[in-house]
Amino acid sequence: MNYTLNTGSNNIPLNAPKKQNIWSSVAKLFPLLQGEQKNLTVAFSAIFMNSLLNLIAPIIIGYTIDHYVLTKNYHGVAVFSLILLGIYLLALVASYIQTKVMGGVGQRVLFNLRNSVFNKLQELPVAFFNQNKAGDLISRINNDTDKLNQFLSQALVQFIGNTFLIIGAGIFILSINLRLGMAGLVPAISLLILTLAISSYVKKVNLASLQSTGGMSGEISESINNFKVIVAFNRRDYFREKFQEANQKNYYASIQAGIVNTVFLTPLYGFIANVAQLIVLAYGIYLISIGAFTLGLLVSFISYMSKFYNPLREIASLWTQFQTALAALDRISEILALKTNLTVVPHDDNTDTQKSLLEFKDVYFGYPDGEEILHNVSFTLEQGKTYALVGPTGGGKTTTASLMARLYDPTKGTIFLSGQDIRTYEPYERTQKIGFILQEPFLFSGTLRDNILYGNDAYSKYSNEELLAVLHEADLDSLISRFEKSLDTPMQSGGEAISLGERQIIAFMRAVLRRPDILILDEATANIDTVTEEILDTILKKLPPHTTKVIIAHRLNTIENADEIFFVNSGEVIRAGSLQHAVDMLMHGKRDS
Amino acid sequence: MSTPLPQQKQKGLLNLLGPYKGIIALLTCVTIIPNIVSLLIPQIVGHAIDSYTLGIFMLSTTIWQFSLATITILIFTILQSTIQTYASERVARDMRTELSAKISHQSYGYIQTISPAKLLTNLTGDIDSVKSYISLAIVTIISSIVLIIGASTLLFVTNWRLALVVLTIIPLIGGTFFFVFGKVKTLFTKSREVIDWLNKVINESILGSALIRVLNSNNIERTKFEAANTQAKDIGMSILSLFATMIPLITFISNLAIFSVLTLGGHFVIAGSMTLGNFAAFNSYISILIFPIIILGFMSNVIAQASSSYARVRNILEHEEKKEFGTITERLKGNITIKDVTVAYGDKIALKNISLSIQPHTKTAIIGPTAGGKSQLLYLLIGLIEPNSGIITFDGKNVDEYNKENLHADIGFVFQDSVMFNLSIRENIAFGQNISDENLDRAIKTSELSEFITTLPHGLESVVSERGTTLSGGQKQRIMLARALALNPHILLLDDFTARVDRNTEEKILANIAAYYPDITLISVTQKITAVEHYDQIVLLMEGEILATGTHENLMKTSPEYVQIYNSQQSTHTYESPHEK
Repeated sequence: MNYTLNTGSNNIPLNAPKKQNIWSSVAKLFPLLQGEQKNLTVAFSAIFMNSLLNLIAPIIIGYTIDHYVLTKNYHGVAVFSLILLGIYLLALVASYIQTKVMGGVGQRVLFNLRNSVFNKLQELPVAFFNQNKAGDLISRINNDTDKLNQFLSQALVQFIGNTFLIIGAGIFILSINLRLGMAGLVPAISLLILTLAISSYVKKVNLASLQSTGGMSGEISESINNFKVIVAFNRRDYFREKFQEANQKNYYASIQAGIVNTVFLTPLYGFIANVAQLIVLAYGIYLISIGAFTLGLLVSFISYMSKFYNPLREIASLWTQFQTALAALDRISEILALKTNLTVVPHDDNTDTQKSLLEFKDVYFGYPDGEEILHNVSFTLEQGKTYALVGPTGGGKTTTASLMARLYDPTKGTIFLSGQDIRTYEPYERTQKIGFILQEPFLFSGTLRDNILYGNDAYSKYSNEELLAVLHEADLDSLISRFEKSLDTPMQSGGEAISLGERQIIAFMRAVLRRPDILILDEATANIDTVTEEILDTILKKLPPHTTKVIIAHRLNTIENADEIFFVNSGEVIRAGSLQHAVDMLMHGKRDS
Repeated sequence: MSTPLPQQKQKGLLNLLGPYKGIIALLTCVTIIPNIVSLLIPQIVGHAIDSYTLGIFMLSTTIWQFSLATITILIFTILQSTIQTYASERVARDMRTELSAKISHQSYGYIQTISPAKLLTNLTGDIDSVKSYISLAIVTIISSIVLIIGASTLLFVTNWRLALVVLTIIPLIGGTFFFVFGKVKTLFTKSREVIDWLNKVINESILGSALIRVLNSNNIERTKFEAANTQAKDIGMSILSLFATMIPLITFISNLAIFSVLTLGGHFVIAGSMTLGNFAAFNSYISILIFPIIILGFMSNVIAQASSSYARVRNILEHEEKKEFGTITERLKGNITIKDVTVAYGDKIALKNISLSIQPHTKTAIIGPTAGGKSQLLYLLIGLIEPNSGIITFDGKNVDEYNKENLHADIGFVFQDSVMFNLSIRENIAFGQNISDENLDRAIKTSELSEFITTLPHGLESVVSERGTTLSGGQKQRIMLARALALNPHILLLDDFTARVDRNTEEKILANIAAYYPDITLISVTQKITAVEHYDQIVLLMEGEILATGTHENLMKTSPEYVQIYNSQQSTHTYESPHEK
């Protein structure tokens, strides 16, 4: 599966779905609102109530003037004034409820959407992360979801409220005088058609703008995360230039989106509203002149016209927000639609093999869009033995190890874990069995304790003292004492406070504490001094005897105690008879990368 | 780009508009004109109706007046939208440029302290909210104020006593804004901080994605994310509560004005102190007055967000940059002296009283246990970190006297961990400035990359992904070396370079360096003694202090710690160098 997301800069055509009408886009919004039916009902009732009260208030005022002010009945004025006050109080309550409830819906949708995008990221395999920029993903999780939230919590309320107002005003207009009403509404219909016609263009332009924002975010992440190289190579200008390029691109895309969003609609709507007013004025006076209408009615007709066209103009500006929200939803849906290709397959007894711990059988592998890296690799690992993988850089050692841990699946062939296809194991089971110390150790922000216990539930409830006792038993306490504040030493994900060697020590402790059946060390001690390495060696020797160790290393002292050595080169895994044999191959064999 | 104005005390949002006076003035004009014209339209309509009742109605005059007003409004609103988009995007772009330039001049330490996640929010979300302030708030505020002033004037002209009563709502509304503003501003700052937090969790989960999959710890990441996300939701809800109270309250206060017009105005009309026509006009002006007041309520949201974001951005912009005084542009000869240098992070001492002298064209190895300060020593030489005390000199002159650009162009640094940019292999290697083809070729040849590059489908032009994941560790390490060598440096700093390169390749590379860069001064942090036995000087660094300095033979006689390290590496010595047998 190709995990590359559309960022506008690659060759995937913009605006891919061609015949996508608005309603199918709107339909995408509904699943987000699941479980909110009750709140939506409350909110919609409040919005309806509020709009209704807003329509009634002027009628009450008109009625009071006609019936009490003109007849000089002050008591009536007072009574109806109090009724008006009551209506305003009701409107206050309705408006509070609509904002609060609808805003709450928006916040929860945002919360759920962010969670589901993030959860999706957690489901996807490593390959996905190799193919996409961190900054762009962050932009999708934060910026794009927020665009949707803005629409749902603010725009949607106004959208619905205004729609009610328009319908109400429309009914009044048509009921006062059908012919004049229709004449007055014709411009609105032409607006509607125009709006629908340009919607997909508006969305496309907004999508391009969101993509450029994602791209910019990607540039920033890359440069800031690699800042030390930028400083050391005196390429501060690199960050500025690359960023400026993205910034400029974003500038043009945003201007285009901004102009389409504002110029196309708001002024045009104002214009059409005025045209409608002129039509009503001229046609109304004509109707009066032929005796089909009265002047008084024309005055109130004109005021209802503005009650119709004002909210319409509001809707126009909301419409572009809606298109932006849809574009954002597209970018989010793109991630949500991805599926991991590392699914658990059903177990089939017939494919089981003999009970070796791990077996590669006719395995081929290549990264997507890359050349084949492993060609027809077969070997078996027995329980409790120590294996070493040696060979030149780029020969396929890390790839082989990654396949053992099922970070990828072979393109052809099968890997068996305890005689059973590795793909039949649940991730939980598989990762319990296989410990893999990665070549590049990674720390999470937190403390040393957080980092060694990361992903290890067994000791999470232990106090520091209890944990230290466990560590003592595993001989790990001498490693802990290197850290100034012991288990509470603070760690940062980036930064230099913890050296690479120390990171490797932490990764080592983390893996050893899990007591896996197979422990893979991928150059796991490469940056650790040789004296400390001897300590690690002792710790490894004290692991339960059934633990199988797979060691990838360049330093030969690390692997001299291996039971068996595999020479990995040019995508082939060859069994080396002895350490000396392996060294000969390594020193004199042709390097193929 | 706009030049920053001289020192100003007031750094509020309005201040931001300083350099854009011209365009903001223009925007104000094109906003005011259509608003005034639209106040005229009811007049035209009223006039038409009046003249019809008087029997002097001229359809053509009305159409003519009306069309003129309508077209004027259309043209000016189009102008206004265009200018407002242009102005807001330009302010955002310029602010990003300024901020990125500021960031690019900061020290490595500062970037780490502020954290990349926060800088990302500053450059994206924060600036976006300032942008929406300009694109939405300015125009809306101006047109609202024009409408409020216009309508208030008309109210006063019609009936000043009633107008006074009506206008008491303005301080009431002002007070409500003021109260909510005060509360919401801290909430907005908090909500930005939560976004930083979210960014951090996402960022770590992406950078650590392989580890997470190896440990099947997806749930831990989910929990972390959900915690940050819940906090974001809670803050969002608190902000929402404030606005859900404020907006209806302001609407209600405005409605009170209509209520008082009906009761009081009705009373005046009945008492005969006000005409019915004036009463009707009063009512219609009230609705003109109220709409902009409510819109101002909505805008307060945008303004509050923008001002808290702007404060965050200003924080970075106002950070004192380290001044560069260095003027020396001579090329380095390779004579390096470190005298009594101490580096500390808070109370943690990383390097303590380090003194070391390195002669040109010599080879120096730094060995010692993990976390002993070896990398820190190299970082010091290249200026990634600053000494708390002590002096570093190159060719007898203090490092601060050197022009940093020249200094960096003369020192090649091969980092321990590999950093790849989303660029072609060529651009990754020729990452320094002004790399000639000749230097590039030599660097590639020396790093034993030629063969590897020919196997790539697009050769040197093949693009490496952000984290360079389809390259092996050793390949990345060699590209890092080539990047440093392409500078044609006089000093080469290797930070545990050989750790990920196989022995065979390592030997070839070291021979290549000796052959192609004969005059280079080499400082190499390493674990393996065998590779550096013949070096001119070996420095043993432990827990931030130099324990011993000397040649291999010398150290074998004088330093028990060195002997211990040496012995720990002996068992496979014979295998590692079979050709010496």
